[in-house]
Amino acid sequence: MIRAVYKLLQVIGSETEPGQISLGFAFALIAGFTPLVSLHNLLLLFLILVLRVNLSAFFLGLAFFSGVAYLLDPVFHRVGLAVLTAGPLEGLWTTLYNSTLWRLEGFNNSIVMGSLIVSLLLFVPFYLVSNRLILKYREHFLAWVQKTKLVHVLNILRYGAGS
Amino acid sequence: MTGDRASSTPAAPPKSPQKPAGAGRWIRWPGVVAFAVVTVLLAAAWWLLVDGMIECAIERAGTQAVGAKVELAAADLTLLPLGLTLNGLQVTDPDEPMTNAVEVQRISFLMDGLNLLRRKVIVNEMTVDGVRFGTPRKTSGAIGKQEPGVIQMVAKTKFVLPSAQIPDVKEILAKEELRSLKLAETLRADIQAEQERWKQQLAELPNKAKFDEYRQRLDKLKSAGKGGLGGIVGGAGEATAIQKDISQDLEKITTAKKTFDSNLARIRERMDGATKAPEEDLRRLRDKYALSPQGLANMSSALIEGPLGDRIETALRWYAKLQPYLQSGGERKGNVEVVTPLRGRGVDVRFKEQAPLPDVLVRTAKVGMDLSAGLVSGTIRNITPDQPVLGAPTTFEFAGDKLTGLQSLKLSGEINRVDQASPHDAATLNVRGYRLLNLPLSTDDSLPVFVKEALTDLDLKAGLRGEALDANLAATLQSVQVTTGVKPDADAVAKAVASALSDIKSLHVKADITGTVTHYAVRLSSDLDQVLKQALGKQMQEQVGKFESKLRTAIAGKAAKPLADLRSSFGGLAGIGDDLAHRVQQAAGLTKGGGKDGGLGGLKLPF
Repeated sequence: MIRAVYKLLQVIGSETEPGQISLGFAFALIAGFTPLVSLHNLLLLFLILVLRVNLSAFFLGLAFFSGVAYLLDPVFHRVGLAVLTAGPLEGLWTTLYNSTLWRLEGFNNSIVMGSLIVSLLLFVPFYLVSNRLILKYREHFLAWVQKTKLVHVLNILRYGAGS
Repeated sequence: MTGDRASSTPAAPPKSPQKPAGAGRWIRWPGVVAFAVVTVLLAAAWWLLVDGMIECAIERAGTQAVGAKVELAAADLTLLPLGLTLNGLQVTDPDEPMTNAVEVQRISFLMDGLNLLRRKVIVNEMTVDGVRFGTPRKTSGAIGKQEPGVIQMVAKTKFVLPSAQIPDVKEILAKEELRSLKLAETLRADIQAEQERWKQQLAELPNKAKFDEYRQRLDKLKSAGKGGLGGIVGGAGEATAIQKDISQDLEKITTAKKTFDSNLARIRERMDGATKAPEEDLRRLRDKYALSPQGLANMSSALIEGPLGDRIETALRWYAKLQPYLQSGGERKGNVEVVTPLRGRGVDVRFKEQAPLPDVLVRTAKVGMDLSAGLVSGTIRNITPDQPVLGAPTTFEFAGDKLTGLQSLKLSGEINRVDQASPHDAATLNVRGYRLLNLPLSTDDSLPVFVKEALTDLDLKAGLRGEALDANLAATLQSVQVTTGVKPDADAVAKAVASALSDIKSLHVKADITGTVTHYAVRLSSDLDQVLKQALGKQMQEQVGKFESKLRTAIAGKAAKPLADLRSSFGGLAGIGDDLAHRVQQAAGLTKGGGKDGGLGGLKLPF
């Protein structure tokens, strides 16, 4: 836990572009909320590795959002089932259902569909809010945080008394 | 990588890095290589672990389904061509954890790769080799406490050997209620009530005093008639009035007499019944306590029902275990079907497919069963839990010839869930020349019975429509050798039964099984009844004769007084009838006149 907090502070306090950190968190939101072994997560892995996304932010976010997903599964199920059984969308789902690629994605599972919709809807707002918060943090809190005893203790724990 | 550049500590001042310009600011070209490496590593890990994962999945799902350990020695997945081979499958018998219900040496099949990507396991041909039943296990396959089975035969006959001892009549009469006594008591009470009622009615009906009064009035009228014309005219009116009164009274008595006669006839019928009731009691108690033809029929049924019932229950228990896999758990929601997966979370929603196929389908499974008698091979077609999607039932056909201890065997049938609302299954089994060895018919201490050897022909036709079970079995046993464990000190009946069973050389058995899967009844008929009747005929006649004689005397003794009281009461009631008849006679005499009493007939009117 301490290690995770230290890592988080380290990541958002680093010189990395705030957008890259935010994108790492946003991608983690999708990968964490949706079932890990999914076709879209393979695509996500490709994007994470090819785009300059902060990997530490992604893995920290993945651990966090995977935990949250367990609590949100009932919500994902309800959203997914409502969307999959919505009359106006039946034609679209039927077309996708007859496509091998989409069947491999398992879109017709209520939790896959629900979690994917929720995470995609939250992706852009989360990216923007996260970006804004990192900038605010660096502008207003970073100097203060660096002087706190907590960070001092964390530094000692991480690098030893001589740091 | 960006992550590597985040090397500062929260305590360290931020540095000003040299940022890449243009597309390089967002694209990490080595990432493509990294993705390829990660993908290959993931695929390699999957390839290394997939066999173990399949093995675990089959063992876990099988164990949960059967309720006892299902083990697999090895699973081997091949990609080109896409196929799976399972070796050493053992399915524990939940009722006998040290025995495998089924053991399969090898299952191999090729899968349709494209459909597998669509999450449909389509197997065109499966080969199942080395199927064996009832093999011993080295370790127990129990996984915990098993729920007791709910499948049971309705009114299963218990084997009871009839006794040669004559039952104690005193003991029987002490615990049995004699219907004849109860009948006599009830009837006597009814007769007494009837008697009281009629006594009251007799008091209200015209009696001797009333008839005397009429006579006095008539005498007076006669003397008035001798007093001239005025007396004659006045006497005519009075005579008419007397005639009317007598006629009315006569009518009353006659009506009462008719009612009484009718009631008396009914009571007489009941009297006859009460008189015969001791004989009814005798028959009832004799049939209950003495060795009777019905008792022999029960005994022969019990001998056959035991082993037959065990096999029916085993078959139905396994059939019940298969049920969840014979039909999908789909539920319609609008135009789509919502299916809860057997494992995993959430629900899968099915949409209309251009070329509908079940999620799991084995088109043909060639099965080789390695029985102790030899190889029995067969084919199962269309194995799927989604028969409505496929539009065809699961069918099976097995046959074996020239086996050891079995001339031929043929099993065929179908499991039809095409219309989920009206499922129907059928099976036909024909066995010829099966050498039956050491089959226990009765393990009862009083008379253990075993079929040591018999050559059996068996025809079974079973059908299940919804919950309704209907099966017919016909078996012919020839060259029968029956052994019995009759004790030297056993009674005559036990010895006679044992001797009769030992002499049996052939046997025909017919059984009709009806009811439901959970509660079924077996109606048996066999020539064993006749064999036992012949064997026990003499013992039966002697025993029944002695018992009947004792019982008749005892019942007659008990019923004598109540019946005597009853007759006495009936005699009292009959006396009322005599009284009524006498009154009718008296009243009729008054109207007819004549005789010394004189009546209206003696009165001469002038007109």
